[in-house]
Amino acid sequence: MAEENPMDPIHQFVIKPIVSLHPLGIDASFTNASLFMVIVVLAAAALMLIGTQSKALIPGRLQSLAEMAYQFVASTVHMAGGHDGMRFFPFVFTLFMFVLFCNLIGLLPYTFSITSQIMVTGALAMLVISIVVVYGLIHNGKGFLKLFVPSGVPVALMPLLVPIEIISFLSRPVSLSVRLFANMLAGHITLQVMGGFVVSLLGAGLFSILAPLPFAMTIVLTAFELLVAVLQAYVFAILTCVYLNDAVHPGH
Amino acid sequence: MAERNGQDDHSRQKPEASRERDDERLRARLNTLSSALDAQNVADKAAEAAKREPVRILPGSIGNAMSLAVRVLSEFVAAVLVGAVIGWWIDRAAGTSPAFLIVFLLMGAAAGFWNVYRIAMKPPNPEG
Repeated sequence: MAEENPMDPIHQFVIKPIVSLHPLGIDASFTNASLFMVIVVLAAAALMLIGTQSKALIPGRLQSLAEMAYQFVASTVHMAGGHDGMRFFPFVFTLFMFVLFCNLIGLLPYTFSITSQIMVTGALAMLVISIVVVYGLIHNGKGFLKLFVPSGVPVALMPLLVPIEIISFLSRPVSLSVRLFANMLAGHITLQVMGGFVVSLLGAGLFSILAPLPFAMTIVLTAFELLVAVLQAYVFAILTCVYLNDAVHPGH
Repeated sequence: MAERNGQDDHSRQKPEASRERDDERLRARLNTLSSALDAQNVADKAAEAAKREPVRILPGSIGNAMSLAVRVLSEFVAAVLVGAVIGWWIDRAAGTSPAFLIVFLLMGAAAGFWNVYRIAMKPPNPEG
């Protein structure tokens, strides 16, 4: 398919196995997605490890980047979850760095953007919601179920309101995963289509004088995608905090 | 025998006690961390307020507005979708073709509005 149409905007999202593994009939191949996940984790770990190595009072570039990331997430978690929320800081920080690096590394040419796979974002969202449910049930017992019972509502309305609350709760992982996935997917497709315009215009004789227009658009869109990449990582982290806060203090 | 029991009791209590101590230690660490953070936050906010006065439209505010818009849209759509899937699922299991789909689609829409309402009713935070 790639040979047939190199300008196919979906082609960049195709998952290709690098090392084919099929233990017990399960497709567990090491794919290009797995490769870039390893790269992302290594890059994030390298930033934190190298950045915190010198421990200078006046930080260098890497150190100030690492400190900025730390302080940014720490204040976010503290703002959303308060004092008790800080015990989730390591989790939220890991999640934020992973999503941020996935988004940013996916923007480089010739890379694979992992967060444009619904499987990956869905797994991350399910992880968040599972932690909310498990921690909420362990920490608050039955009190966690108060999350589904709005306070100060007449009993007669309960049969209607409780299912609505449950649907609202179930929609959280869906919106969490779809938002990140859709943003990254749409952004990358737009970039690819704009790049495709440049190529087709260059091959169109006299019309090639128009080629700089979509090229300028590509540059603008790249900057915009940079904003979206950081923003979506931030939104993912802050919503994780908000949901975890529900597990710590159920009942609004 | 009694001594044995006592020892058993002791060994059973130990993980409990150590967990409690861990919790205590974690709390103490959190306390120092958060008081330092609070001080930093107050300083940050003052600096930010001083910086923000002259320039009204920051590049970040467009990002905040956009993220809020995307959030509202996705929360609404997600609730409707979840309602539809639940309704379709019940229908397929019970063979009552469109009845539950319609009911749960409406409930999903209600849940979507509820989600949006909840976002809108939150005190305006800088995070949006």
